[in-house]
Amino acid sequence: MSAHTHVEGQLPHEPEKATLEGRNKVLGFWLFLGGETVLFGTLFAAFLALRHQVLDGPTANHLFDLKLVAFATAILLTSSLTSVFAIQAMHQQKVKSLINWLIVTVLLGVGFLILEIYEFVHYVGEGHGFTTSAFSSSFYTLVGFHGAHVLFGIMWITLLIIQLKRKGLTVVTAPKVYVAGMYWHFIDVVWVFIFTVVYLMGKVV
Amino acid sequence: MASNNHSATEQNTKRHKVEGPKKHIVAFIFSILLTFIAFATVIGGEINKDFIYIILLGTAVLQVFVQMAFWMHMKDRGHRFALIGILTGVFVVFTCVIMAEYWVWW
Repeated sequence: MSAHTHVEGQLPHEPEKATLEGRNKVLGFWLFLGGETVLFGTLFAAFLALRHQVLDGPTANHLFDLKLVAFATAILLTSSLTSVFAIQAMHQQKVKSLINWLIVTVLLGVGFLILEIYEFVHYVGEGHGFTTSAFSSSFYTLVGFHGAHVLFGIMWITLLIIQLKRKGLTVVTAPKVYVAGMYWHFIDVVWVFIFTVVYLMGKVV
Repeated sequence: MASNNHSATEQNTKRHKVEGPKKHIVAFIFSILLTFIAFATVIGGEINKDFIYIILLGTAVLQVFVQMAFWMHMKDRGHRFALIGILTGVFVVFTCVIMAEYWVWW
């Protein structure tokens, strides 16, 4: 029953899982995400241990503006949804729609990054530099690492868009798009814990 | 034999019927709702501190569960090793966080 017969020259229904290489890529990426979980988890642990050690710098409660955080969260959450739409378009072999949804995802990612840069510049102006206190160092390391992941995702998906335009959707390019989508969701999942642990818990006095 | 083959492909196309965006939009609305609950709890928070922490962690874990199941296709079959990989990571993270919260400032 598992033997699929396909019309010549047409992509299979789930092109990312059509080849062994594609399936291995997806599995390998899950294992990579397990490692990424450990990376972020240790940064979270360091932040949790150091978040009250502010020396004479500003405290979390004094610093954070929840409106800005809510806006950033909305942007990233929406971008996760648009990347789901991209994968759905890929499953329907609508390459044009796939590329468009990826472009929307990248643009939302850029918007999030601009917001984060604005936020950091604002904090430095408030006297919250990287070396101000153990709290500030662990804050910038954790949130900055997440921001770097967003930046990497933006560059990665941009390159994939270019490749899709050049080579089209094949059993070689499909796993790449699928895996990049997983990466983008993972970034969103990490952000859920950042806004919970860093920003919201910082506001609870 | 030929007709047999034909019915098999037909079944395959049926089973592969492309999924609609509906459940992903439901997952999105659910995520927004959980985020809203978390923010509202902190902003309107005249309640017990520990209770707020429990609500915050509960909504975060629930939201991650929803997103991984639907958006990262964790609920689809053939994800056992993926689950093992992620859970191994989560186990290490759990150990680190417990250490940082309860051991560092003993």
